[in-house]
Amino acid sequence: MRETLSLLFYLVRLRVRTRLEFRASLVIAWTAQGFGYAGVFTSIWIILTRFENIGGWSWPQMALFLGFHTLGYALGACFTLVQLRGMEEIVRGGEFDMLLVRPINPWAYLVFSGFNIEYGGHILLGLGLIVWALPQVGIVWSLPSALMLFGGLISSAFITASCITVVSACALVLQRARYLFGLYFDFWELSRYPASIFAPVFQLALLTVIPLGYMAYVPVSVLLGRPVPYLGAFAPFASLAAGPLAVLAAAAFWRFCLRRYQGGGG
Amino acid sequence: MAAIISAEGVGKVFQQRVSQPGILGAIRSFVAPVTRPVHAVADITFSIAAGEAVGYLGPNGAGKSTMIKMLTGILTPSVGEVTVLGRKPQQERVANARDIGVVFGQRTQLWWDLPLSDSFELHRRLYRVPDALFSKNRAALSDMMELTSFIERPVRHLSLGQRMRAEIAMALMHDPKILFLDEPTIGLDVVAKDVVRKFLSRINRERGTTIILTTHDLQDIEEICPRLIMVDEGRLLFDGTLPALRKSFGARRRLTLEFSGDPGEVRLVGARPSGGEGLLREFLLEDDGRSLVQLLAALEASSDVRDVRLHEPSIEEVIRTHYQSKGSAPAPVTGRPAVPA
Ligand SMILES: Nc1ncnc2c1ncn2[C@@H]1O[C@H](COP(=O)(O)OP(=O)(O)OP(=O)(O)O)[C@@H](O)[C@H]1O
Ligand SMILES: [Mg+2]
Repeated sequence: MRETLSLLFYLVRLRVRTRLEFRASLVIAWTAQGFGYAGVFTSIWIILTRFENIGGWSWPQMALFLGFHTLGYALGACFTLVQLRGMEEIVRGGEFDMLLVRPINPWAYLVFSGFNIEYGGHILLGLGLIVWALPQVGIVWSLPSALMLFGGLISSAFITASCITVVSACALVLQRARYLFGLYFDFWELSRYPASIFAPVFQLALLTVIPLGYMAYVPVSVLLGRPVPYLGAFAPFASLAAGPLAVLAAAAFWRFCLRRYQGGGG
Repeated sequence: MAAIISAEGVGKVFQQRVSQPGILGAIRSFVAPVTRPVHAVADITFSIAAGEAVGYLGPNGAGKSTMIKMLTGILTPSVGEVTVLGRKPQQERVANARDIGVVFGQRTQLWWDLPLSDSFELHRRLYRVPDALFSKNRAALSDMMELTSFIERPVRHLSLGQRMRAEIAMALMHDPKILFLDEPTIGLDVVAKDVVRKFLSRINRERGTTIILTTHDLQDIEEICPRLIMVDEGRLLFDGTLPALRKSFGARRRLTLEFSGDPGEVRLVGARPSGGEGLLREFLLEDDGRSLVQLLAALEASSDVRDVRLHEPSIEEVIRTHYQSKGSAPAPVTGRPAVPA
């Protein structure tokens, strides 16, 4: 166990060193991400200043929501996103075959050897929004609400990592995953808005089959004392349980696909 | 010696998607994909003893890589059973991986943007190689493969030949019992091929590492592997030694002689004239173990020889001659009794 951990840590170190060899591209990535987020958040802010609120959410509440969403996503994605998003190429190019001849879990190898320091920008942005918004939304702090904040963030990160893992696992069987990643990101963008503004069927979907509602909507609603459709009093538990459950489901799905792996051809 | 690798009635079927023309076809194949079974490996049985060096030979698409993937735990056989060091490679993938070394000629296991030495260090941690053993192996292998001059250079700056040498050296760092190589000489120039071949046969001799390599170059086999297994379209065609292959498959080496003047009628004992005109004469050589020097010493011609060229039949030629002589579907030929399991 200790040896495995030190090995995984070594992989992260190699990865960071590789990225630092190309410092310029790292800075460009950070800047591009910064502009991307600035655009989206400004448009949400403009809607808010026009209409005072979105589905009953004020701007500071919305800022907490967005900060939570960004931070939860970044924590999950820095381990899984870049490396698993290229899964289609990893499988087709035969790189996955090369992982299978090494004495290590291929998922762990991919995740740690691709550790994504580009996400530093996301994490700072998410933290900043949360720190700015928290004092303005009047949360009464207690042990349960603190647990909700941290537990909810971890759950959110787990959901992100699980979704990305599930989508990438499809490449093991279908040799394809790009389109599915596109689909995931479409839903992910929608989950940046309070679910209550969508049609009821879609709200239900976000709380069940596409569990992105638990990324921010459910935990932040609970923190703010807002009602959550369908879940009601069960919302805090559902929010904390969603991440670990997603991880279990994703792990089972990954194993299921790995057993059906037929090579990358050639 | 007991077998450490065995394949019994092994087959592998892939379902290949058949793409259909037009937009309608694309939609149809998305909804209900049409697949076609490809028998990449069909009913193959062999066993290999510790310390052997075996060449796995066949033309493109013969199923060589697929067999290596089944032996290294990447794929499971569709039928039959493979055993490596007493294990089923895919079921005990990690344990199997620790005991074998694998090199794929067209892939890399090296960390592209970092110096070679970092890849070696990662390998040490991955395989949990004890420090003393690692330093010893690293020194010895770097020396044998002449890696020292570029060991601190990023891998992306290495030539293909340098990279291949590093690749093979790395695969041996943890003292694997078996080394699997899939086309280790592909794309290399003559000199680099020679280095790799000499190295592999030395490793096999000195360390007793069992070697299995796939290739479509008979020369690889000649220099490294006393035994060869030949496959075509997934089926076993031959299992035995190279001379036995030449004998039973009838593909002869071709000798071309160039004379300085008109040679008249040329007689060469142990060779059959097969054409040539003017100053050139061609012969097909019998496989009777006679050396080129012996052959030429018995040459009878009325002019001096200016140049001599010896042409090895390629794997494609060997197989073609085989089919031509059989005139029908392939049946396995065994050049020697299989190693007892
Ligand atoms: N993952 C896969 N999916 C579908 N078909 C495959 C797959 N891998 C291999 N095949 C098919 O199986 C057959 C054997 O392939 P394989 O790669 O084993 O041949 P090979 O002997 O290594 O050939 P080469 O000399 O070209 O490397 C080929 O017809 C190939 O198209
Ligand atoms: Mg091949």
